[in-house]
Amino acid sequence: MKRYCRLLAPLLLLFGFLLSGCSVSTESVVSLDAIPAYSGDSYVAVNGNIPFFTEEELTTTAYEDYGELDYLNRCGEVSACVGLETMPTEERGSIGHVKPSGWQTAKYDCVDGKYLYNRCHLIGFQLTGENARAENLITGTRYLNVDGMLPFENMVADYVQETGNHVLYRVTPIFDGEDLVAQGVLMEAWSVEDEGDAICFNVFCYNVQPGVSIDYATGESWLNGEESPPSSESTTMYVVNLSSEKFHEATCGSAEKLAEDNRLEYFGSREDLIAQGYDPCGSCKP
Amino acid sequence: MIVIACVDNKMGMLFNHCRQSQDRVLRSHILEVTKETRLWMNGYSAKQFKEGLPSHVTVAEDFLSQAAPGEFCFAENTELLPWERQTEGIILYRWNRDYPADTVFPLDLSQFTLQSTQEFPGSSHKTITEEVYTR
Repeated sequence: MKRYCRLLAPLLLLFGFLLSGCSVSTESVVSLDAIPAYSGDSYVAVNGNIPFFTEEELTTTAYEDYGELDYLNRCGEVSACVGLETMPTEERGSIGHVKPSGWQTAKYDCVDGKYLYNRCHLIGFQLTGENARAENLITGTRYLNVDGMLPFENMVADYVQETGNHVLYRVTPIFDGEDLVAQGVLMEAWSVEDEGDAICFNVFCYNVQPGVSIDYATGESWLNGEESPPSSESTTMYVVNLSSEKFHEATCGSAEKLAEDNRLEYFGSREDLIAQGYDPCGSCKP
Repeated sequence: MIVIACVDNKMGMLFNHCRQSQDRVLRSHILEVTKETRLWMNGYSAKQFKEGLPSHVTVAEDFLSQAAPGEFCFAENTELLPWERQTEGIILYRWNRDYPADTVFPLDLSQFTLQSTQEFPGSSHKTITEEVYTR
């Protein structure tokens, strides 16, 4: 699994960035390896705070793009050209029925509001009015939601409301391998009409919670200083043959040949499948 | 000089050289509060007054060095610490919201006395708090 959230962004907004006083960089690689470990600040600037938008992406036409969930049910990159047109006209509704990847209910006294995890909007409701869309909700700590992302959303929302201008906005959750919980989110924003004069940032917000340790593979958590819970089987995708009642690795040749009617994609542990009466394939030996 | 500044919940003022927020009601309020004397600001601040600037406003990049006693200085992205001794008072506007910040209000408020506080709604801020400090 690639750990890069963006590999080769083509041309940067050279002209605009020069005008706005931002320095220009051709370096546009962001990997978790390049992100410093969390050290007390809820975010860290990336690429000198210059977003990776390309010239082709420049527009003052409002739009929203929420991408698709991946095979692990994880959100991907979401983007928008935020304007008054995209802002909400109705009150927020319930989002409790959405279960983002890695979702767990965990409560700690050291967390504001007790609950460790929030259903965290990638593009904040105040910017696009998108409420319960699964492609826009990740499992995020209270700290990520309130201390990390919200201040940036506020800055963008105020600017749009006060000027009627537009802001190119992109949020990319960054997962390590097949983890179900993101290590953090990359937030990029650039005000279009004034060429980044008012809004220009590129930051990585950490999906951490001070005082709490998190297993990003599963979403399990425990208080710092306590022992981690017994390691559970990591969630893996298997392909189940409903006819033969055998299960396979996703890459097994037998799985690839399975007819749609007999095929079931299962996310969970090997032990759970065996407990349900399925047998492991003798060839791929899942 | 009397410094006018806007801050968020953590005394932040700027992030990546950009003001954290703005509000057209607050702009009108500042012009009203300062109308009896001169109000100084730099070109960066003047650009946000899309509604136009009245005659009591003077725009200059080195406005802090030019301001006379009793005159107002709207400071957003200028160094304030070198002018701490000349600062007779402060009018602080609190957005009452959280924004990212890499520049915070640098003057020590404990060296001043809070004379008055009032709240009013902004155009995009539910409540803006005005605090007036004197030496």
